[in-house]
Amino acid sequence: MQYKSQMVAKPYFIGALVLFVAQILFGLIMGLQYVVGDFLFPHIPFNVARMVHTNALIVWLLMGFMGAAYYMVPEESECELYSPKLALIMFWIFLAAAGLTVVGYLAVPYATLAKITGNDLLPTMGREFLEQPTITKIGIVVVALAFLFNLSMTFLKGRKTSITTVMLLGLWGLAIMFLFSFVNPDNLVRDKFYWWWVVHLWVEGVWELILGAILAFVLIKITGVDREVIEKWLYVIITLSLITGLIGTGHHYFWIGTPEYWQWLGSVFSALEPVPFFAMTLFAFNMVNRRRREHPNRAATLWALGTGVMSFLGAGVWGFLHTLSPVNYYTHGTQITAAHGHMAFYGAYVMVVLTIISYAMPLMRGRAANSNASQVLEMWGFWLMTISMVFITLFLTGAGILQVWLQRVSTTPMGFMATQDQVALFYWLREGTGLVFMIGLAVYLFSFFKDGKSAA
Amino acid sequence: MKSPISGLDVVWLLLLAGTAYTWWLGESGHAGTGTMMAILAIAGVKGALVIRDFMALRGVKLLWQAAVFGWLILVLAVNMAAYWNGN
Amino acid sequence: MSSDAIDMTEPDGRRHPPGDLAIWVFILAELAAFALLFILYGVVRAKHVELFNEMQLTLDRNAGALNTVLLITASWCVARAVAAIRKGADGASARWMACGILAGVGFLVVKGFEYSDKFDAGIGLDTNLFYMFYIALTFFHFMHVVLGLLILGFLLLKTLRGGYSADDHLGMETGASYWHMVDLVWIVLFPLVYVMR
Repeated sequence: MQYKSQMVAKPYFIGALVLFVAQILFGLIMGLQYVVGDFLFPHIPFNVARMVHTNALIVWLLMGFMGAAYYMVPEESECELYSPKLALIMFWIFLAAAGLTVVGYLAVPYATLAKITGNDLLPTMGREFLEQPTITKIGIVVVALAFLFNLSMTFLKGRKTSITTVMLLGLWGLAIMFLFSFVNPDNLVRDKFYWWWVVHLWVEGVWELILGAILAFVLIKITGVDREVIEKWLYVIITLSLITGLIGTGHHYFWIGTPEYWQWLGSVFSALEPVPFFAMTLFAFNMVNRRRREHPNRAATLWALGTGVMSFLGAGVWGFLHTLSPVNYYTHGTQITAAHGHMAFYGAYVMVVLTIISYAMPLMRGRAANSNASQVLEMWGFWLMTISMVFITLFLTGAGILQVWLQRVSTTPMGFMATQDQVALFYWLREGTGLVFMIGLAVYLFSFFKDGKSAA
Repeated sequence: MKSPISGLDVVWLLLLAGTAYTWWLGESGHAGTGTMMAILAIAGVKGALVIRDFMALRGVKLLWQAAVFGWLILVLAVNMAAYWNGN
Repeated sequence: MSSDAIDMTEPDGRRHPPGDLAIWVFILAELAAFALLFILYGVVRAKHVELFNEMQLTLDRNAGALNTVLLITASWCVARAVAAIRKGADGASARWMACGILAGVGFLVVKGFEYSDKFDAGIGLDTNLFYMFYIALTFFHFMHVVLGLLILGFLLLKTLRGGYSADDHLGMETGASYWHMVDLVWIVLFPLVYVMR
C-alpha cells in the first residue's frame, strides 16, 4: 500500500461485509417464508424482510465501491486522498443512516415510517429498492457528493489514468442516476419509466463502468501485464456496455404502457448486453494467462476470474434467456426474474467487491497476500458461495419454468397461489442451498482471522 | 513507371458504378425477384470490395475474413430469403 | 512497446487485420448489432410487404444515393490516407484524411436534411413499423458516423502533429478500420431500406 490515506478503505470494506451478513440473514428468512408463510409474522413480515434484504445489498455494494475507489484513486493518481477525514466521517454517517433506516423498516409499519419521516413533503417512498425515507435518500446524496468531491479533487490533483477516469465516470453516473429516485410522477407509466433510470442504468449502465475499472485495476496489479493493454480493453468493454445497455433499457419498457417500438428496440439492444460480459471474461482469462509475474494473492486472482465467468452467466446468459419481448411476455415477474437477479448481482457486483477486498485487505494489513492457510479458507468460501449460488439460480429457474407453464402457458392456467404450491419443492431446495451459501460466507469471513505463515 | 491510379481508385470507381446502377434500378421503378437479386448481388460485390480492399482483409487470417464476409453473406441471404417468402 | 503490437506476419504468412486487435473485437460486436437489425428488418418486411413498399416510396432515394456516394468517397480518402502514411508521406496523408472527414460531414448534413423533412411531417418511431425500422437503423448508423468522424478527426490531428510515420501508424489503421465498418454497414442499409421492393 503506497499511500497512507488508502487505509480509509478499510472501514468501508468491513462495513460492507457486515451488511452482507445482514443481507443473507434476511434472505434466509424470506426463503423460509416462501414455504412457511407465517414464519416470523407479524414481527418481520415478508415485505419488511425483503426491504432489508435488497436495501442491505445495495448499501453494502455501495460501501464496497466507495472502499474500492478510496483504495484505487490515490494509488492511481500517485498522491494522497484529498481528505481522509471527510471519508471517515462519511463512512459513519452512511452506516448510521443505513442502520437507522433498517431499524425504521423493522420497528414501525411502513406507513408510519412514511409519516414520521415527512414523506408527504417530498414523496419518494413506496417503490421497490427505493423504499428508503426521503431523508435517507437525501442523506445518500450528501454522502455521495462528499465522496465524489473527495475523489475528484484527488483525481484532479494527481496523475489521470484510464482506470480512474472510467471509475469516476461510473461513480458520478451512479450519483446522477440516483437523483431520479426523487422523480415521482403521478402518471404510473412515467413513474415506472423513470424508475428504471435508477435501476437499469445503474446495474446495466454506470455500475458496469465501476466493475470494469475495478477489475482492470486488480488485473494490472496481479498479472503485471502492460497498463496500456489492459486500459485499452477496458475502453472497449465499457463502450460495448453503454452501446448495448442504454437503449437496452427498453427491455423494461415492454409492458408498462410505453409505445410499441420499445418491444423492438429493447429486444435488439438488450440481446447484445451479454457481449461486454463475454469480452470481460475473455479479457480476465487472457490477462492472467499472459501474466508476467506470479502474484502471491491467488485468492484475488480466483475472485477476478470468477467475476468474469459468473457475471457472464448470471447477467449475460440468464439475462438473455428472458430479455426478448416474446419470451418476456410469458416470464415477466416470475421466478425466472429472481433466478437472473440473484446470479447477476452475485456474479457481477458481489464478486467484484469481494475481488477488490481480497486484493486490498491484506495490503492494508501489511502484507502482499495472506498466508496459505488463510487463502485456502478464502477460496473455500469462494467455491461454497459460488456453487451454491449456481444451484440457487438453477432451482429458481426450475421454479420459474414450472410457474410460467402452469400459470400462463398451459391451456388451463392456474392462479398464482395454486402455482406457488406446485413449485414449493424448488423453494425448499433453494433454502437449503441458501444455508450452504451462508456457510460459505462464514468460511470466507473466518479466513480474515486465520493466522498462518504469511505468503509474502 | 508507377501507375498514377492506385488499386484503391479502381475500387472506388467500381463502388460508385454499383451505387449508380442501384439508384437507377430504384428510379426506374423496377421491382420483383430479379431486381431484388440484382440489388443484393451488387450490395454483396460492393461489400466484398470494401472488406477486401478498403478494410484490407485480403490475405489476412481466414478466420477474420470468414467473420466479416460471413456477416455480409448472412444479412444479404436472410433478406433474400425473407423476400422470397414475403413477396 | 505494447505487448499487443504483434508481428504482422505469422509463420505461415497470414496476417492479422490492420490496426489494433481491440478495434476488431469492437467492429465485430457492432456488426453483430447491425446484423440483428438487418435480419429483423428482412423478416418483418416479409410480413408487411405492402406497408414497406408503400412507405419506402416516401423516402428520399436521391438523398440515400448521395449519402452512399459520400461514404464510399470518404472511405476511399481514408484508405488513401493510410496508403500515404505507409510511404511516410504524412502531408499527403493528412490531406486525404481531411477530405475523408469532409465527405463524412457531408453525409451528416444530407441526413440532417432528410430527418428534418420527416420529423417536420410528424413522422416518428411510432408512426408505423417501417418508419420505426427506418429511424432506428439510420439513426443508429448516424451515431456511428459521428463516432467515426470523431475518430478520424483525432487521427488527422495526430498526423498533423507528426504522430505517425511509415514504421508506426498502427493507430491510423485502427481508426480507419472502424470507419470502413461504418461504410460497409451503409452499403447494405441503402439498398435494403431505400431501394429493394
